[in-house]
Parts: sequence; structure tokens; C-alpha cells
Amino acid sequence: MKTSTHSTMTLSLSAIALACSLNLAGCAATQSTTTEPVAAAPSFVMPSYQKITLDNGLTVNLMVQKEVPLVTLDAVIKAGAVNDTTSGLAYLTSQSLMLGAAGQSKADIEQQLDFIGASVNTNADAEGTYVRANMMSKDIDTVLAIFSNVIRQPDFDSAEFDKLKQREIVGLSQQKESPRAVISRYFSKLVFGQHPYANPASGNSESIATINANELRAFHKGYYQPNNMTINVVGDFDVKDMTAKLNKAFGDWQVTETVMQPDLSQDLPTLTKPRVLLVDKPDAIETTFLIGGVGIRYDNPDYVGLTVVNTILGGRFTSWLNDELRVNAGLTYGARSGFSPYSQSGLFQISTFTKSSTTKEAIDLALLTYSRLWEKGIDQATLDSAKAYVKGQFPPKYETSGQLAGLLSDMYLYGMNDDFINQFQAKVDGLTLAETQRLVTQYFPQQNLQFVLIGNAAEIADIATQYGEVTQVSITDTGFGQ
Amino acid sequence: MTRKLIALLMTLGVLSTPSVSATQAEDINSFTLDNGMKIMVLEDSSIPNANMYIFWKVGSRNEVPGITGISHFFEHMMFNGSKKFGPKMFDRTMEAAGGANNAYTTEDMTVYTDWFPASGIETIFDLEADRIANLDINPEMVESERGVVQSERTTGLENSNWRTIQEALKSVAFSAHPYSWSVIGYESDIAAWTLEDLQQYHKTYYAPNNALVVITGDVKLAQVKALADQYFAPIPAQAPPKVVRTVEPEQKGERRVFVKKESVSTPNIMLAYHVPATSHADYYALDLLASMLSEGNSSRFYQALVDKQLAVAAETYMPMSFDPNLFYILGVANAGVSADTLEKALIEQINLIASQGVTQQELEKVKNIKLMDFYRTMETINGKANTLGTYELYFGDYTKLFNAPEAYNKVTPADIQRVAQTYLIKANRTVGVLAATEESDK
Repeated sequence: MKTSTHSTMTLSLSAIALACSLNLAGCAATQSTTTEPVAAAPSFVMPSYQKITLDNGLTVNLMVQKEVPLVTLDAVIKAGAVNDTTSGLAYLTSQSLMLGAAGQSKADIEQQLDFIGASVNTNADAEGTYVRANMMSKDIDTVLAIFSNVIRQPDFDSAEFDKLKQREIVGLSQQKESPRAVISRYFSKLVFGQHPYANPASGNSESIATINANELRAFHKGYYQPNNMTINVVGDFDVKDMTAKLNKAFGDWQVTETVMQPDLSQDLPTLTKPRVLLVDKPDAIETTFLIGGVGIRYDNPDYVGLTVVNTILGGRFTSWLNDELRVNAGLTYGARSGFSPYSQSGLFQISTFTKSSTTKEAIDLALLTYSRLWEKGIDQATLDSAKAYVKGQFPPKYETSGQLAGLLSDMYLYGMNDDFINQFQAKVDGLTLAETQRLVTQYFPQQNLQFVLIGNAAEIADIATQYGEVTQVSITDTGFGQ
Repeated sequence: MTRKLIALLMTLGVLSTPSVSATQAEDINSFTLDNGMKIMVLEDSSIPNANMYIFWKVGSRNEVPGITGISHFFEHMMFNGSKKFGPKMFDRTMEAAGGANNAYTTEDMTVYTDWFPASGIETIFDLEADRIANLDINPEMVESERGVVQSERTTGLENSNWRTIQEALKSVAFSAHPYSWSVIGYESDIAAWTLEDLQQYHKTYYAPNNALVVITGDVKLAQVKALADQYFAPIPAQAPPKVVRTVEPEQKGERRVFVKKESVSTPNIMLAYHVPATSHADYYALDLLASMLSEGNSSRFYQALVDKQLAVAAETYMPMSFDPNLFYILGVANAGVSADTLEKALIEQINLIASQGVTQQELEKVKNIKLMDFYRTMETINGKANTLGTYELYFGDYTKLFNAPEAYNKVTPADIQRVAQTYLIKANRTVGVLAATEESDK
């Protein structure tokens, strides 16, 4: 494959088997030799949808898309790892929704869903819990009943939960067999320290072992409230009919708790020195590394401009980082960079990997290339190319019902509105060279960079000391750093 | 690598209730240029974008020892410079036009994928035609690309247990056929192939008569025809490539392979059984059998292995394939479960189907799962392009995609039991074990 995504490989083998091809980022000076002028593409706008509020305060977004006879039904709840009282609680609560609900067993639910080719998947990340149902349009009634039950009335069966916990603990060990699958958890911990954004959604092998069904119930009661969530329905359905069905399924659900949320704008980290977390994996044949620091909030007004600048640095195949580390030097299969925004802060990271013996060469070249943002800046041809690229690649990001439902969920969690989509093109078009300089100065971390290196410490420990104060852990140690 | 995308495609196919809005066979237009290049077009204006997928009938099955992995390496070299667009200019030109691309190589084919705003389609034709007709293999680019591909190989082995065990298993399951080596090839071959090897490979396999082009998106048939005439029609045809002669001899007894990797926390077991090519009538029954074993938490493997805490995952994989290939099963042991216990438990489930058969209801379930998968793939212009091309090549006719529902619906519980009894037997099996420590001699 020409390029591969760095996306996390999960335990699921099918996920590994399906991980296909995102393009890497990064660009070099571009001399356009296009044989025809590229006509202005029609502006991509938010597809129309209806927002309704049920009597109990639950908001629902309904977006009709008739390409295929499918429906995606998403619930997103403001509860994530930042709300964990025990590490992994939000995630395990989400996973446990499917262990039986309203008296129907786990096996019964699974049998019923599988028979009609439908699915209900649950997950949690830093700030959100997600319940996603996919179905054929003809099966809405069957799936909606299950969807409502698992959200409102999960049984949290103790015997099933004990089995789940045991599998999750083994799963954590297996994730650590793949540096790529876990490196971002070490990086979050290194940058955010004691702040809740450092909490790994997965928890760790010791914390998970201590959680019991009563904790799940308390977490569920505290956060799964109609005024702390939204439901998004996207696909081939009738709006009036669906509104009635949702009212029946959720309208009588009463708010019983005042939801308590931490103030995540408090105690954000100040990075005062460069640091290196060296994660020892003795049989590693390559070094996987991240370099970066604090990034931006999701609702940052400069989000779009930063997307363009990052495209140039490490957001596409011809980006500076990929061009230097891969194309020119042959050190890696891919190098990229990116912002990972949250509601109140975020991360920025450069990521790549190289065989153990070229670790120093690759880190130095990544840093040198990164410094071009300040040393040389961006030229007009490269900026024009990056603008065309992000505009051209924008519509396919919102092509499927699942992608559109995910967009609506993000807008809810991170406080954005339709302008996030509708102003995208104008913001890209309006970005000037002078603006890119301001963005570089204001947002890209230049000092006190933070490094995570996962590799064979016997080979790379001396190299690590050249970049900052080193802390070393073993990849088999519990959790994701100190 | 390639395996990944194909894993998605193999699960498509059942269409028992065609929808009014979903794509139909008659929506697809195709024409063939005088040089033998076939082009399929599906107009779809759901987003203002389009794609071009070029399928070349060359993969690792066309290699021989000494040049293993060259098909995949060549996939990389196609981006490294041609007459009009020198080194780096393919990507720079495409990205400046708002386009992006990728490519993948399988045991059977090499596929190039361009995704772009529909307004940029002529640039894409210009870029593709130049590298097909006038590739300029630059010696310096070859050297740096060797490093890239070595890194791709290393990062696969570092991060994927599947990749690690599969590479070893294939070398044992196939004693003669080129499916014996991994698509990425042996490390020593990656370091050693020559400029001449590469030039010969391009001339032999990158001829228009060895290609299939699929274009889907916000385009018009007449526009595509005109551009194809202008850019692709002048490229001369070549003598057809030699056929792959070797037929894998019948396996006469179980084979085994062990791979040690210290960081593996619990044993991984891979089982692989020889099965016929995708064009064989038993493809549909085997495909449904794979789903019954592993799709969803109501599947046989989940119920018997994961729910019973013997495994944390158990999956199946059967690639579409030109030649007879393998039906794979991979199980990952739960803590404290030995490789031997897991292996026996997996085999027990397979043997249960052979001895007891399956129910009609179980069969209906996997047909519904496949229908759902099919719709999801047809939700995007890229899913459509890839699926159409894949069906055209593996079944010889893209309309088979739209006949697949009938083919799947014909499969009976007795067919499932028969293919289990025919193919999933011990003498036809290779067992791979990946673990941190190998048991010592007793």
C-alpha cells in the first residue's frame, strides 16, 4: 500500500483487517503544472436537518439521506474519561450497556440484532459516550426498542460484567503489543499530567479490576440524563414518523439528577521543560515516536486556518514531514502531524516511526523540518495548493449517514453550529500568507517539546537523553506512564 | 496491505431487496478502447467529487523467487516520476488540484485510487496516462523507496500479529504456488531487485490491455469517453503477460508452523484451509460459512470461545482470489488458555458444522448481515468504484455483483455442511502458532 493510516489498531481483528488507506499529510513547495485551470468547486454546505426538543429537554436532530435504505441512530452523552472517578469507568459503563437491558439478556439482544443485520455499538472517549445503531430502514422499530432500553434501563448484570472486565484486562495487554495502538495514551498523560484530559478512556489493568456493577449504576445515573445528551438520526426515514417513534421511546424519560461536570478550563498544564518518556519494548524492531505539546480547543476560531497550515506541515502526502522523512530520506513509511482538539484544550503532535538504528536520524530530521515553520515559513504556491487540497477533500468526509451523524455529535459535544461546515470554504479562501505566520507563532508549540518514544531502550536510551529530561517505563508496566 | 481492503469486499454481495435509490446494474456504462483498456463509468452526483480506480492484473502471484515483493514495490515506484511529471510531481500536481490518492497491492492485483473534485478530472487523466505510457524509473528514487518499503514491512511486523503469523503460515501452506510469499516480499529481495527487473515489470504488466478503469462520481459518460480517447487510447497494447502456470499440489496432511515473538501476551492461533478460487461455485457457501463462524456476538466462535472466556477474539478471513487460496481463522487466547486448548476449541467448532450442519435461521441471519454490509459499501462513491472493479475481475463480470443475491439465496444448509466437510478438514489444514515462548522438548 502506498500510504497507511496511523489510526489506532484495536484488538478487533476485523478492525485490523479493514484498516485501509488514509493518505498521509505533509507538503513541499508546489509548482502547479495542472493542465487546466481548476474551476471553483461548488461550496459544500451542511445538509438540511430538523432539530426538535422533546418535553423532557432531550434534543433530537433528524437528517434525511436517501442514498441507501439504511438509518444511523446515534446517542451522544456528555460523559467521558474526564468524568472518571476510577480510571476506565466511563468506557466500561458504555461497554456494559450491551450486557443486558430491561430484563432482556445480552445473548437475546445480540441474537435479535444480528438476525436483521443491525448493530448497536458503544464507546467512550475523553468527553463523550456514544451509542450507535445501524440498521435497514425497515427494522427501525426493532432496533429503536433495544437502543432505548440499553440507554435507559441497562441491567449491569454482575456475572456478565465480571467476564467483560476480564476480557478488557487481557485486551489491554494485547493493545500494548502494538506501539501504534497505545502511544497516544502515553502522550496525553505526559502532556496533561494531573489534568482530567490525561485520563486514558480505556483505564488500566489495575483500575478496571476494582470496578463493580454498583459503580456502573452510579455513573449511569449521574450522567445518562435526557438533558445531558442528544440523539442524531441520519438516513432513509420519514421525519414525522420518526419523531413520533422517538417521542414514544424517550419522551417519558425524566431528568432525575443534576449533572455535575468538572471545569476543564482549570489547571491546564504549563510545560516548562522538554521531557522524554521512553517506553521500553525489548523486542521492538522499530522506534515509534510522537513529538509535540498543547494544541487547541475544538471551537477555536482559527481551527480551519490551522487545518490548512497543518496540511502543509504534516497533513498530506506531499507535506514537509512526509516529503523529508519518507520521500527524501527513506527513513519511514510515513510521517505526519495533527491537532487533536477537546472542548477546553487539545494536543498537537508529530508522529512517525523508523527502524531502531535510525531513531536519532529520524527525530532530528523531524525537528529540523518542523523548525521550517519559523525559519522559512510558507510560500504562496504551497498555500494555494494546500487550500485546494483541503477544499477538494472536504465533501467525502461527510458522505455517509454515519459520518454526518458523527458530525452532529461532535457539534453537540464541542459546542459548534452549522457554521463549522458552512463557513469552512470561506475561511479557507480567506487565509493569507500573513495569517499563516500569525497561526504558526500563536499555536504551534516551539519550546519545551514533549516526546514519547516506544522502542528497545537498550538501543535508544542514550539517544533519548538528547531531547529532554528522560523518564523510562516498561511497556508492560500498568497504565500509560507516571 | 492489500488484504485489508479485500477483507471488506469479500463480505459484499447479497442483494435480496433492491432499493429504488441504490445503484442498479443498468446505471453502469462500460466501453473498451482499441488498445484493450476497459473503462466503466457510474455517474453519481451525491457529492461534487469523483474518483478513478485503475486495477492492474498483476500481484505477488506473478512473481518468482528473487523478485518477491516487486509488485508492491512497483506500486510505490508508479508515484516516483514519469516523462512529463518528474519525481514528486505526480503527488504535487494532484494535491494542488484538490485531489488525493493511494494504492494497494494484493496477491492478484495492483490498484491505484485517485479521489478528486470532479472539476479536476482532466488533470487526473493526464497524470495517469503519463505514468502508464512514460514511466521514468529513477535510480535514486529506487534506493530511497527501498527504505520506505522496508519500513512498511517492519512496521507491519511490529504492530500486527496477523501480519507476523500469516507470513510464516503462507510459506508452509503453499509448497509450490507463488501465494507462498507475502505481498510485501522477503527482506533480502526488497534490498536486491534491479532497475532492469523494474523496467521489465512495467513493460509486461502496465499495458492498457492488462488494466480495468472504474470512474465513479459527479462526471458524465461523454466527458469520460472524450478524455479516455485523448489520454488513454494512444497508449499501445503489449503482448499479454504469461499465465501463472504453477498449480498448488493437493495437501496430504496437516502442516504446522511456530513463530516466537517475546511481546505476545497470549498465544495467537491461525488455521488455514485450502479453498478454490473465487470463480468456483462454492465461493458463496464458503463466504456464508465464514460469517456464521465469526460475524457478530451471536456467531459460533463468539458464543463458544469468547463468551466462554477461552479467547478474546476469533475471526475468519477468506480473500477473493484468482487461484485457489486459503480460508483463514485466527483466534487470540484469553489469559491462562494454552495454544493447544484454543486450537482444539476452534477446530471443534469447525467440525461441529461438518458433523451437525447449520439451521435455516442461522443461514438467514448471515444473509441479512451481508445485505447490510453491501448497502454500507454502496453508500460512497469509493465503495462503489472498488466493488465494481473487484467483481469485474474476480467474477469476470461486474453484473455478478447485482446477481449475487440470487447466488447467495440459492445456498442451503446442506451446502454449508458439504463445503465444511469438503474443505475444512485436517489433511487440508495448516496450523500456525504465535507465542512468546516455545514449549521445550519433553
